[in-house]
Amino acid sequence: MTTLTTTEPADRVGTAVLEARGVTMRFGGLTAVDGVDLTVGDREIVGLIGPNGAGKTTFFNCLTGLYVPTSGEVRYKGAVLPAKPYRVTQAGIARTFQNIRLFANMTVLENVMVGRHCRTKEGLFSAIGRGPRYRSAERESRDNARELLDFLGIGRHANSLARNLPYGDQRKLEIARAMASDPGLILLDEPTAGMNPQETRATQEVVFKIRERGLAVVVIEHDMRFIFGLCDRVAVLVQGRKLVEGTPEVVRADERVIAAYLGTPYEDDAADRGAAGDGDGATVRAAGEDEGTAS
Amino acid sequence: MTEQAPQWGADSQPPQTPLAARRDGTSPVSPAIAKALVAVGAVVSLVSTFLAWTWTSSFPGDLSVTGYPGGNQVITLVVSVLLILALGPVYGVPGLRWLAPRGYVRLLRGLALANAVSTWYVLLAIAIELNGLANWVSGSWVAAIATLLPVAGSFLLPDDQRDAPPARSIPLWAQSAIILVAIILAMFIADYGITTGFTEEFIGFALAVGFAAWGLNASGVLARLTELTARNRIATSVAAFAAALLFVFLQTSDQYNTIADDILIFATVALGLNIVVGLAGLLDLGYVAFLGVGAYSAALVSGALSSRYAHTVLPFWGQILIGVSVSIIAGVIIGAPTLRLRGDYLAIVTLGFGEIFRIVVNNLNGQSGPDLTNGPEGVYGVPDLKLFGYDFGKNHQLFGVTFGKFGNYYLLLLVAMAIVVFIFARVNDSRIGRAWVAIREDETAAGAMGIHGYRFKLLAFGLGAALAGFAGTINAHLLNTVTPDQYLFSASAPPNSAFLLAAVVLGGMGTISGPLLGAALLYLVPAKFQFFQNKQLLLFGLALILMMRFRPEGLVPNKRRQLEFHAEEVAEAEAHEVVASEAPEAEAVA
Amino acid sequence: MTTTVFLQLVTNGIAQGAMYGLIAVGYTMVYGIIQLINFAHGEFFMFGGFGALAVYLWIPAVQHLPLLAALPIMLVGGMIASVIIAVLAERFAYRPLRNAPRLAPLITAIGVSILLQQLVFLWYPQPGHTGVTAPLQFPTFGSKPWHLGGVVIQRADLLTVIVALACMAYLAYFVMKTRTGRAMQATAQDPDTARLMGINTDRVIVVAFVLGAAFAAVAAITYGLRFGQVSFDMGFSAGLKAFTAAVLGGIGNIYGAMVGGLVLGIAEQVTTGVLASYHATQQWGTAWQDVWAFLLLIVVLLVRPQGLLGERVADRA
Repeated sequence: MTTLTTTEPADRVGTAVLEARGVTMRFGGLTAVDGVDLTVGDREIVGLIGPNGAGKTTFFNCLTGLYVPTSGEVRYKGAVLPAKPYRVTQAGIARTFQNIRLFANMTVLENVMVGRHCRTKEGLFSAIGRGPRYRSAERESRDNARELLDFLGIGRHANSLARNLPYGDQRKLEIARAMASDPGLILLDEPTAGMNPQETRATQEVVFKIRERGLAVVVIEHDMRFIFGLCDRVAVLVQGRKLVEGTPEVVRADERVIAAYLGTPYEDDAADRGAAGDGDGATVRAAGEDEGTAS
Repeated sequence: MTEQAPQWGADSQPPQTPLAARRDGTSPVSPAIAKALVAVGAVVSLVSTFLAWTWTSSFPGDLSVTGYPGGNQVITLVVSVLLILALGPVYGVPGLRWLAPRGYVRLLRGLALANAVSTWYVLLAIAIELNGLANWVSGSWVAAIATLLPVAGSFLLPDDQRDAPPARSIPLWAQSAIILVAIILAMFIADYGITTGFTEEFIGFALAVGFAAWGLNASGVLARLTELTARNRIATSVAAFAAALLFVFLQTSDQYNTIADDILIFATVALGLNIVVGLAGLLDLGYVAFLGVGAYSAALVSGALSSRYAHTVLPFWGQILIGVSVSIIAGVIIGAPTLRLRGDYLAIVTLGFGEIFRIVVNNLNGQSGPDLTNGPEGVYGVPDLKLFGYDFGKNHQLFGVTFGKFGNYYLLLLVAMAIVVFIFARVNDSRIGRAWVAIREDETAAGAMGIHGYRFKLLAFGLGAALAGFAGTINAHLLNTVTPDQYLFSASAPPNSAFLLAAVVLGGMGTISGPLLGAALLYLVPAKFQFFQNKQLLLFGLALILMMRFRPEGLVPNKRRQLEFHAEEVAEAEAHEVVASEAPEAEAVA
Repeated sequence: MTTTVFLQLVTNGIAQGAMYGLIAVGYTMVYGIIQLINFAHGEFFMFGGFGALAVYLWIPAVQHLPLLAALPIMLVGGMIASVIIAVLAERFAYRPLRNAPRLAPLITAIGVSILLQQLVFLWYPQPGHTGVTAPLQFPTFGSKPWHLGGVVIQRADLLTVIVALACMAYLAYFVMKTRTGRAMQATAQDPDTARLMGINTDRVIVVAFVLGAAFAAVAAITYGLRFGQVSFDMGFSAGLKAFTAAVLGGIGNIYGAMVGGLVLGIAEQVTTGVLASYHATQQWGTAWQDVWAFLLLIVVLLVRPQGLLGERVADRA
């Protein structure tokens, strides 16, 4: 559970890191995202859940400039989001991908250094001339990269090729790479897909640590124990529309959410879980979800 | 592993070839005898090179002289010496063990084969070209038999491949000295290859080098050397430059400098393409057009009489400026609309541009268009360069050596190539280089990392065009003429777009020495195999197909790319490594 | 520029474009399924032409037939030649590289293209070292064109259009109604799922190559009929035009390939014709034909990169 108290969204209007209003994304005849509002405050951890095909990743893509919303508006720290992904990253939103998209044939360290690209500006002539400013910028990038790798616990792999990392470490590398651009908001797309419970728990800790560094986080996930144990607020997306938003307790208990997505607990399990005291009442993997397909 | 007994019965041996060493390490012949065979064979074949191998001097190289090795005998001589040296690690001679850190048997086999194959090639060539074995003399027979002995001996020795022990650490000056010596040796080998006077010599040379390289690679020497050069980049560059400089001073006539000049231009342009294709992953199939653009631009303002602008004569640096600028403009015009699109489209568009360039330049002849480039005749009579009073067209004496026209241009081209290598190296290992590789790997993810894909692709394209334009400026003066037919997609001799792409890909994308090696080979092999004249392109096409099938990463593998192409095998190996090192730590974390 | 002259240009353009379209279909089919620019497709086209010519030259009986009757026999010969080459190339050059990074098959395709060109070049009656590379003569209809309202229609041109339409009709039927054709569509959309559904994707790919090569052979014969010659390097330029046509129409879309071909053919003829007819622009006419075609490609790529009949595909992150 979170250790910080959550405040109601109304108090946060002044410090909103992300404000998405009425975001709609249409592909030809298909409406993937329909009028979704989402506000994320400073250092908040917001969860985004829903069945596959609900539009979660599409919504993410709208938040990062990969798609330009058919209608609606997204503001980051008050300013309207630029239309191109690389400008969005420059503005301060970073993301990881649902299917790992590392630069497989670069080393781990290089991957993270690439993440820092938009915070450095050494160009062609600087690279050829290698003056003191270039060298200190390179050194700073390298140090920053190493620090992030250590922060995520994969520092020892710094010179291995990214493609040779074990799966869990590859996910961590994706996060390190995203953090390298010093974002104010980081979007994590299914960061615990394919992980066992122990790794999932470790990822929870990582996200808390990320928040402690000053970032706000939005997480897409299907693992309810992970989401409810992590997030200040949860938004539920079903068929492109936001069904409900609120604290984990509110969302968990909402009938519509249970009907559309979470499902009810099996009777014989409820007793056990109640005895263990750690019960969250919902099945760990929500209904309507299967691995690896688009959300 | 299962506990099953082998199918052929518990105490019998697996089937084996009679003469080769058995897998269990035993051999029909004792190792001492095998080694002796090698030693005897090496020494006798060395001696045989001083004998005559045929009675007539009509065979190229004049192998009929006793007491003095000539033509291909020199090759056999050198390889025999190497073979004798290779006996050092065999007999445990202190000071020579470094020759075979991974095991000496394959080194012996490689050198023995180099010796035998190249010698037997010559002997057979004698028999065939002069019609009959009667043309062999006693010396030929001695050589024939002597070169076979080391082959037998080395293959009778059981294979001893093992992992190389870690190299002893040696002081920095020693490392640099080793690099210098190795590179100068390589230069002498290259010099021999370039200055071979006749085909038989080149073939014998190629055969010997091929097998010897295989042997040296298997023995681990080349890997050690690569490690050294990787750790001492600056020393390597200096040594390479020094060796290249030495090459031109060794030439006694200008004849081979022509070839060297052509190789240098080709290699420089290939390096430029290496940025576009090798680093940024942009498929440019019309690259030679940029060379042409630079050449034409420079030629037009060089004062050539056939130039429309014959009255405008710019100094050399001015011509370079024009050549490079016009090339960049052309690159931007082509790249700006097409770099937004998928890579395959770029391939076709650049191919089209290459063709269009040729057509345009051909048609601007006063009849089908304004007379800008003098049509099919091109701009001829481009004067030789005169820099600071040094006339490149005239002979000069430097340090006692006569430099003809091509020798002069060699010096200039060496400087030009050094510049391009410098730019490539700096740019490769920088924020820009990383951005290019990221774009090549996954452009969407690169965009999510804040990289403006389009701008960087345009930068790569423009830089590539600029370097080609730069080379083109010099090319115009080297050839004294610029015609449309010099810049085609494919032709039987480089430079042309197909050969350029082949040099980069076959040599090894993304590396520095790869395209240089590729360019050298692609130029030399067709030039030397003269009797294949009309089949050269055919073999080139075949070579492309075979290389892509069996060694797509090229001759000089970029460690990254080799892993890319042979991913499964290497990933398993490395994954085991990582997992093994992870195991104790996993417990600590949990 | 009278209407008649304009219509003449359009007519010529339709015939030329139909030929481009036939070649483009092969390009686009292969690209649609395995994302390979088969650089050597122009050489399949060239082989088809030589195969047909070989039948004509080596079977004397054929030479005595009226041309229209001889053509089907020559077509068989041409198709055999181009299909065999295509199948060999696919099996030995392209298939081993199915999973290699993009550049490897492209380089291989360039190698195959050069190899095929040189093979034919060496077969020429005048071996290369004499430097003579004259094209070989191909039988033609002779000059007895039809006149339709002032527009001259060559018999070869009419045949080209008829044949192209027939081929497209057959292709449409094949792709939509036959099992293999539907399997091709499935493989083009998602090869992995197609394989999981039990489709033998290897065989489907071979079929794509075969069809493409067959159509290219047809195109080669129309080329021979219209220009009266075939040469070892006719594949290079035709291939480039055909790929332009495929891109114009929307790469991967077989109908787009023919549409693109027609558009390219007409645009080429009209542009050069118009330029040639006015004195001021006369010199920018015929000699610059390829340049105008190329510029058209650039413009289309700028304005509508997915081609005329192509669809935008969103990148699903």
